[in-house]
Amino acid sequence: MPRTTTLECSGCPPLRALTFDVLGLIKVVEARDKPGEGCVPKVVDRWGDPDSSRCVLAASIDDRSSRPLLAVARSSGKIDLMNPLNGQSHAEISIGEDGRNDDDPVVGLHLFRKTRTEKSRSYTIFTCTTKGNAIIQSYEVADSIEEASSSNKWNVCSMGSISFCKVEANEEYAVVGGKGVEISVWNLEKCLRIWNAKSPPKDSLGIFSPTWFTCGTFLCKDDHRKIVAGTNNHQVRLYDISAQRRPVISFDFRETPIKAVGEDLDGHTVYVGNGSGDLASFDMRTGKLVGGFTGKCSGSIRSIVRHPNLPVVASCGLDRYLRLWDVKSRQLLSAVFLKQHLNGVLFDSNFSCEEPTQPAPDPPVQEAHGTTVVTSSDDDEVTETKKRKKVRVDENGDKKGKSRDKSGKSTRKRRGVPKE
Amino acid sequence: MDDVEGSDLREGDDGGLNRKKVKKEKRDKDVLPSMIKNKEKRSAVHAKLKHQKKVEKRKRTKARDAEEKRALELGEEPTPRKVPKTIENTREADETVCQPDDDELFAGNDTDEFSSILRQDVTPKVLITTCRFNSTRGPAFISELLSVIPNAHYFKRGTYDLKKIVEYANNKEFTSIVVVHTNRREPDALLIIGLPDGPTAHFKLSNLILRKDIKNHGNPTGHKPELVLNNFTTRIGHRIGRLILSLFPQDPNFRGRRVVTFHNQRDFVFFRHHRYIFETKEDKQAQTKTKAMKDSKGEGISKEKVIARLQECGPRFTLKLISLQHGTFDSKGGEYEWVHKAEMDTSRRRFFL
Repeated sequence: MPRTTTLECSGCPPLRALTFDVLGLIKVVEARDKPGEGCVPKVVDRWGDPDSSRCVLAASIDDRSSRPLLAVARSSGKIDLMNPLNGQSHAEISIGEDGRNDDDPVVGLHLFRKTRTEKSRSYTIFTCTTKGNAIIQSYEVADSIEEASSSNKWNVCSMGSISFCKVEANEEYAVVGGKGVEISVWNLEKCLRIWNAKSPPKDSLGIFSPTWFTCGTFLCKDDHRKIVAGTNNHQVRLYDISAQRRPVISFDFRETPIKAVGEDLDGHTVYVGNGSGDLASFDMRTGKLVGGFTGKCSGSIRSIVRHPNLPVVASCGLDRYLRLWDVKSRQLLSAVFLKQHLNGVLFDSNFSCEEPTQPAPDPPVQEAHGTTVVTSSDDDEVTETKKRKKVRVDENGDKKGKSRDKSGKSTRKRRGVPKE
Repeated sequence: MDDVEGSDLREGDDGGLNRKKVKKEKRDKDVLPSMIKNKEKRSAVHAKLKHQKKVEKRKRTKARDAEEKRALELGEEPTPRKVPKTIENTREADETVCQPDDDELFAGNDTDEFSSILRQDVTPKVLITTCRFNSTRGPAFISELLSVIPNAHYFKRGTYDLKKIVEYANNKEFTSIVVVHTNRREPDALLIIGLPDGPTAHFKLSNLILRKDIKNHGNPTGHKPELVLNNFTTRIGHRIGRLILSLFPQDPNFRGRRVVTFHNQRDFVFFRHHRYIFETKEDKQAQTKTKAMKDSKGEGISKEKVIARLQECGPRFTLKLISLQHGTFDSKGGEYEWVHKAEMDTSRRRFFL
């Protein structure tokens, strides 16, 4: 008989993850507790049609318990706003009034949580492109008319190309860095650079390695002063704004460029993934390796995300797998084959599996009033989404009392216990 | 076995002797040949066992053949032959194996790096070069590769960086680069780079046999060859298959009767290059039958059947994938789509292509 070794996967806690791939598909992976079977994550839904021009470059989620929102930046230069529960598109906006071309794709996208309150139906989006065009734009929803109410534009780099852009948890500061661009921290309110790094000195042979940051993140949630960054020549660096402009700690990880770093909740652990599929966790207080994650991961890691509540880390990348790891034991909990090169993964933190899945019942579509829809894009192809959005906005705006109440209740029921 | 039967026969007349025999028999069965310390004895016992097994096997085959013949004569359905278990057909289940009804796969194919070549929008143009030091079997191999791949051009490597060569080839509108790496005057690696932004596959090359070392080899013509790609089943295998496919023009001259085969078996890709010919030949069975008829009636019609004959026209080699890199060659800053790692070899029945 053949000896077969199957990977022992202990299953993972109930969770919900969204993955984004190069064909512009968004796949929903859910793990729910089933008696007898254990908890095996499966693809439960797929949003969008395969189209390489809609390749997802960046995504940001506001996963509050009521009215969550997901923003997805496509390579066509559009940003899709959708409901992360059922994939329904709210709006499609294009940033910057001039038609954006292919050679300046978005690298960073952030959907502000602070400004989105229950009452006001506005949202603010921060985007940053490879050429360093950073834009903060607010969209106001008033009487089924959606418009960019205010926008702030500035340039974060004069030369080089940006490769990552992250906004901290309090949404006051952002960090950018890239090829030929030293790391800099920006105050988003004033659009001012508050700090920028200095390249490390030449080494003992007098060789200066050119600046090339590939990824980075803030180390802790409530501290914008510590930044971890990975470089193309396989270095992981810790910067401390309050201490000095050169890295506080710097160490090497394997032989291929660092492609993703993800921070932990505890404020000192980071997860580092590189171009040949190695994933490891480091303690940034000492710069020591805590341990590697081994699990036949064969392709470059593009994204690492820690679950906000559960001890689970998700990684995905060019090997077309979404892998879920245990934080403590560093064992592979589960791997899901998703068929395409994956660009990113996000967790939906409010998911609980107690209720059976039932997409939130959509209120009946009503005839829209004679109001015109205004969006900054004027393509013909988006008219359908516009129409849908209009209806939705309408329903949200006018019949707030009834339909809001209904859908709100159903959402809460479906999603179980809200976040504590 | 014979001894047992003998003891059965003798059971009636002598009980004591019988018991002794049985005891001896039991002991013989328990003792494995490998447990006997005396070599002469051990080899004798082993030879006996082996012979027994052989005889049994022959018996079984005979019985099976007889059964089949009987079934055939009676017009019944013969019992299906058993399929031997091989490492390949007991391969570990793999979820990445491409399914024919997968719409995402086809959508991915339509937009990948090779689609323009495979749709025949672009004719493939291949640049072949070597590593920096190249001698003996290397150039010989390259001259044969040039005859295999149509529209291939050899360029001396000189001391150029591979990245510079990629740049140059991009400017000259080549669609792929093949780099033959030699070590100790023996080609040992093959690098296939898709251009302009296609993946880079790094293969180990082994068992190279050049044309002149193949017995009864033929010489290929200048026609565009037909391609046979076997067993590229998984998602990564599919991609490698398409990469190989993009080296060749997609409109073969069937008149040239030239076939290039890439056969994947247990992650090793075997390359063969053949010429084939269709020949009409008298049917042997028909011939014997007609002979019999001639004997009986003195007349017969000789039947003709068409057979295909193959002639190999070198070279012959084996490839094994080491890594597949995203984008063109970049050894320092490259991102890998697939790299072989030691931790992936958990079983000999786990294959990746």
